[in-house]
Amino acid sequence: MQPAIQFVDVVKIYPLKAGDVTAINNISFEVERGEFISIMGPSGSGKSTLLNLVGCLDTPTFGNIFMSGIGVRAMNDVELTNLRRDRIGFIFQYFNLFPLLNVIENVNFPQMLKSGKDVNPDKAKEVLHAVQLEEQFYTHTPMELSGGQQQRVAIARALINDPDILLCDEPTGNLDSKTGASIMELMTELNRKGATIICVTHDPTVAKHSDRTIRIVDGCIAS
Amino acid sequence: MIFWEIAKRNIRIHMLRSTLAMLGIVIGVIAIASMGILGNSLVSTVSDSLKSVGDSVIVTPYSGSGGGMGSPGGGGGGSSGSLKITDQNFQQIKRVAAPNVAIPVYQTSEHMKIGVGSDDIVASVYGLPTDDVPDLMKLQTGDYNNGNSGCLVGSTFAKDHNLKVGSRISMGTDGSKGTLRVTGIIEERGMSFDISTDNAIVVTDEWFENTYNRNDDYDEVVVKVKDGDTATVKTAIEKQLNKHKDNKIVSVTDSKATMNSIYETFGTVTTFVSAIGGISMLVAGVSIFNIMMMSVNERIKEIGIMRSIGTQKKEVMSMFIYEAAIIGVIGSIAGGILSLLAGYAVSALMLGTTEYLWTITNALSVAEGVGFGIVICLICGIYPAWQAANLNPIDALRHE
Repeated sequence: MQPAIQFVDVVKIYPLKAGDVTAINNISFEVERGEFISIMGPSGSGKSTLLNLVGCLDTPTFGNIFMSGIGVRAMNDVELTNLRRDRIGFIFQYFNLFPLLNVIENVNFPQMLKSGKDVNPDKAKEVLHAVQLEEQFYTHTPMELSGGQQQRVAIARALINDPDILLCDEPTGNLDSKTGASIMELMTELNRKGATIICVTHDPTVAKHSDRTIRIVDGCIAS
Repeated sequence: MIFWEIAKRNIRIHMLRSTLAMLGIVIGVIAIASMGILGNSLVSTVSDSLKSVGDSVIVTPYSGSGGGMGSPGGGGGGSSGSLKITDQNFQQIKRVAAPNVAIPVYQTSEHMKIGVGSDDIVASVYGLPTDDVPDLMKLQTGDYNNGNSGCLVGSTFAKDHNLKVGSRISMGTDGSKGTLRVTGIIEERGMSFDISTDNAIVVTDEWFENTYNRNDDYDEVVVKVKDGDTATVKTAIEKQLNKHKDNKIVSVTDSKATMNSIYETFGTVTTFVSAIGGISMLVAGVSIFNIMMMSVNERIKEIGIMRSIGTQKKEVMSMFIYEAAIIGVIGSIAGGILSLLAGYAVSALMLGTTEYLWTITNALSVAEGVGFGIVICLICGIYPAWQAANLNPIDALRHE
């Protein structure tokens, strides 16, 4: 079986006026299906660039990235966008829900992008149930929810299209420790059920939940 | 459709801003459509006034200064002096114009008194063959058969001097040219190129010849074209009478061609005035553009999230286009409805009538205004929408 993600000699260079900056320098690694990986490293080490590359928001300058065996380097914007929509679930530090949409609409959004009018109306309720959000909040707007509830909605939105991987950027960074712990329990539970999770974090307690940790220093894998 | 819903909700939460943008479009549509309505109503008014003379070819003596327009005496001026159309020329015109009717016209100005002790007035007097009068004009009241001492009077003339069928008019200074009895009142003819009867009296050619010692030397010939078109008759008359370029005998005016050139002029004026109204629409468009740019700048992070979770560029673009379209459609339709009221007011104030308001051309003017409003909104929404769609998702996600 193909790995969920495969980085092959990936280099990312940003051309700047002051001179080229190599953010990622010849990185290779694989993430197997069902793995829970955390990526750690100091600020400016290349974590965000790596996250953007894994999330197909950017493409490598050299080398290639394979998502379930499909190379992304030669993909155009439409193909990359479809790949993000169908195979990747994003979970952000600041939840990033749409303030104009209620909980159900926020969760259904990626499903509407994928299926147009043929949306499964029960799917949003299923994933919201899976992330343990009470039904009374389904018609609330994000502003009417607590941070933990918003992050649960964001996780439900990430899960709605049954992605190959869940990509988390400091998922507990904006939550208190108790809520953060419950969110990490939820992530661990999802991983137990088969979800592949890649989590970029500064927090060692978050990294503790993962199967292994990739440490990035100066654009290279340190360990 | 989720993007349509988001566009609607975004307009709703920025209601004041959106309403002000719509107001700009409303004003723009009103300016364009009401100017169009005014122009169309003006053309309708003029065309109604001229429709009775639209089928005439007017032949006047050649004066050497090119063709003339309208009757030689106009609405009460004098006769055209020594320049006349001879009976021989009239017969030629009659032959060429057949089977259309050619009517010889005498015309002069005369002093007259209406009733005992009234003031001396001066008015135009037309002499026409009795049989041909029904071809030129219709009567409000009375009878065409006026006999030798009878006359027809124009509607304005009758109204101004309180004349009725049976009233008497004393002709010439101190009644030196006898008395005429009013046998009919002519329907209002408005502006005309052949003869202007509203402020004149019409007598028999026989009375005119006897009174003014005129015989077969006409001031004007009017051909009423009922068979064929006026341009052909005009060409035929010119070909027959003005055989020599250096010795022209008559000037021939095609009333339909003149009317068309008047309509063209009015059309140009309407377009020009509507274009001035269009400037306000452009200003409204700039306001829409500004609001759409604000909307994009406020939602950069949201666009970044959308793009990162799989929204295509065209979908982001559609969301902003919907927003511009909603503002444009609502503003333009409101403007279209209000422009009918504005058109009503402008027509009533400037033309004194609103009878030409409900016409197809006015409906088209309103539709043009509405369409232009929507198109301007869409055009002004395209660039901000394009800019939103082409934001780098990574930069947009980092935006605070």
